[in-house]
Amino acid sequence: MLDRPDQRDRTVTVREISPNSTGRTPTRRSLPGRMARMPPTSTDLLPTAAPRPRSPAGSRARLAAATAAGRLAAIASRAAGRGSGTAIRGQVMLTLDPAALAKLLAGRRIAMVSGTNGKTTTTHFLAAAVREALGPDTDRLVHNADGANLHGGIASALSKHPKADLAMLETDERVVADVVRLGRPEVLVLLNFSRDQLDRHHEITALGRRWRDALAEAGDDGPVVVANADEPLIVWAARTAKRVVWVNTAGTWVQDASLCPSCGAVLVRRQPDETGRSSWACSGCDLAQPTGDYTVIGATITDPDGRVWSPDLNVPGSFNVSNAACALAAAALLGVPADVALAGMRRVTSPAGRFATARFGDTTARLLLAKNPAGWAEALPLATTPTVVLAIDSAAADGRDVSWLWDVDYEQLAGRTVVATGPRAQDLAVRLLYAGVDHRCVPDLAAALAGHPEPVDVIATYTPFQRLRKMGGV
Amino acid sequence: MVDPVGDGGRVEIVLIYQSLLGIYGDRGNASVLMKRLEWRGFSPVLSVVEPGDALPDSGHVYLLGGGEDAAQITAVRELTADGGLHRARDRGAVVFAVCAGYQIAGNSFTVGDRDEVITGLGLLDVTTTRGPVRAVGEILSRWRGHQGDEALITGFENHGGYTVLGPSAEPLADVEVGVGNCNDGTEGAVNGTVIGTYPHGPVLVRNPALADHVLELALGRELDPLPRPELTELRRQRLAAARRAAH
Repeated sequence: MLDRPDQRDRTVTVREISPNSTGRTPTRRSLPGRMARMPPTSTDLLPTAAPRPRSPAGSRARLAAATAAGRLAAIASRAAGRGSGTAIRGQVMLTLDPAALAKLLAGRRIAMVSGTNGKTTTTHFLAAAVREALGPDTDRLVHNADGANLHGGIASALSKHPKADLAMLETDERVVADVVRLGRPEVLVLLNFSRDQLDRHHEITALGRRWRDALAEAGDDGPVVVANADEPLIVWAARTAKRVVWVNTAGTWVQDASLCPSCGAVLVRRQPDETGRSSWACSGCDLAQPTGDYTVIGATITDPDGRVWSPDLNVPGSFNVSNAACALAAAALLGVPADVALAGMRRVTSPAGRFATARFGDTTARLLLAKNPAGWAEALPLATTPTVVLAIDSAAADGRDVSWLWDVDYEQLAGRTVVATGPRAQDLAVRLLYAGVDHRCVPDLAAALAGHPEPVDVIATYTPFQRLRKMGGV
Repeated sequence: MVDPVGDGGRVEIVLIYQSLLGIYGDRGNASVLMKRLEWRGFSPVLSVVEPGDALPDSGHVYLLGGGEDAAQITAVRELTADGGLHRARDRGAVVFAVCAGYQIAGNSFTVGDRDEVITGLGLLDVTTTRGPVRAVGEILSRWRGHQGDEALITGFENHGGYTVLGPSAEPLADVEVGVGNCNDGTEGAVNGTVIGTYPHGPVLVRNPALADHVLELALGRELDPLPRPELTELRRQRLAAARRAAH
């Protein structure tokens, strides 16, 4: 039994919020009206931040030149049919003005979202929550909605909205420390941390240490962290922050957490408590699962005041309820009330193409993204069609090593027909052979999607996912 | 030499400490051995052992996989205290160790930025220290004592430690593409029924001949080949990829 000294008595103040009473109404009330209902601990979303400070003229000129050059590069890239140009725009800007990111971050209220899985969707939730609260003032918001989350992608998004004073930034795990240092964000959401692209990241503990060090260094100027209490590495990294809002996400992926990131001793899982929830603790030091300020139970989220919310999202998957809980906590820190935040989040249906339904000739396909074993564990149960298409690549963005295929429970697809596609389709075909799953190997994406009379669910790693979005126009 | 296992006999595969040594899909090696036994009509049993559990003394193959520094230290401590792996080696069972598992099977290895030296399990006469650059990429090597296509071992290596062989360890293979032990042209090490190798991949998936070699050692008998077109095509693709990477 886990000792929970500060557990609230959740039976007293709970009230159920029906989906119809949560601000879906099209008329937007004025922001001052919303402010009156703010919890006292919230900061204010309302006041327009003081005008963004002006840097010296020479510095501004350099940024302006870099921005213009980046814009031209993006236009050229688009004209050449090479994608949106986001990446090249950012690269050009940062090459011409290495300080561009710091200048573009300055003077904005920033919330960042990072983690291995769910970054894009959670940032979309958070941006939608803030947009809902802003009403007609949506031009105050900037959001790197396309998922370009490295230095260049963030700079690119910010440069397109120079006047926006609220920035909701999806941030790659490796960029978190830099943005904390350069941008002094108010809020940092840390979702989860699992094996991903080990050919580049090598050891995830080292990555967690970089977050931890960045938060320690930022001290009182650092962000309030919204952190997933179910993940030992996240808890360890977040503990150096000035303040942490813990979210019990009901996470189920435990394969990446066996040793304490702090002292190296074995982590132990404690018996489930009266709510059926188990928790972890270190056998060698005081690192243990914190009590959640927000708690996900089934399809509901309990907030720090004990109120129970039904998010009723329009994206599938219990993991997205967890993502929404994190976004809800971050939105509250920015001053957005929960009912308004959830009303915004319900408008999110296919963030950056995830869960989108697309047409490929006569075939109707729903696109799911899975980048690593934890992501596949979430995505596979969502793929429910009799025929499932799985697309695998090993480009840099996918991770060049496909060993992870053997950590995914493809055995659950037995009895269905699987089409293996993408440049590494053969590796998947062998995995399916050993899993005893009927399959066809069709490396060409278009051929793999052709000729399905019934709708199919498609799960793809990052690179084929982006190609499928383009092919399907979503 | 072990007593030969009869047709349809029970064969136990022991997968050691997946929570510590399993970051590169290393359970795949167990899946491959299990399935190849099943396809041949044996009765395979998988024992999954975690720290604190005793290693079974009835295993035929013991598998060690890859892991991070702290996990290596814990795994050595637990396995030394347990003693079951050494007993397994003494009675002729096969120990197949990959990547970090290979390193801990040796005399010593180093961890952390300060290169702390950790005593290994001593199952292989090899010593590992931090190398000048991390070895990451496709690796292709030629298996000593084997001929033709089956002699080519393909995999993916990802290790910061470089390994030097002592006098009582033989290299498993000679490197054609990649780093291998320490850029000295050798890859892996063999000492009796203990085999260590860097490529994960997982290595037994891409190299069915090596998988069957492990089984033959463990079962004390020869096995008929088991041709599968999916595997032939995968090997063709990965060999081509490794050779492309070399140019």
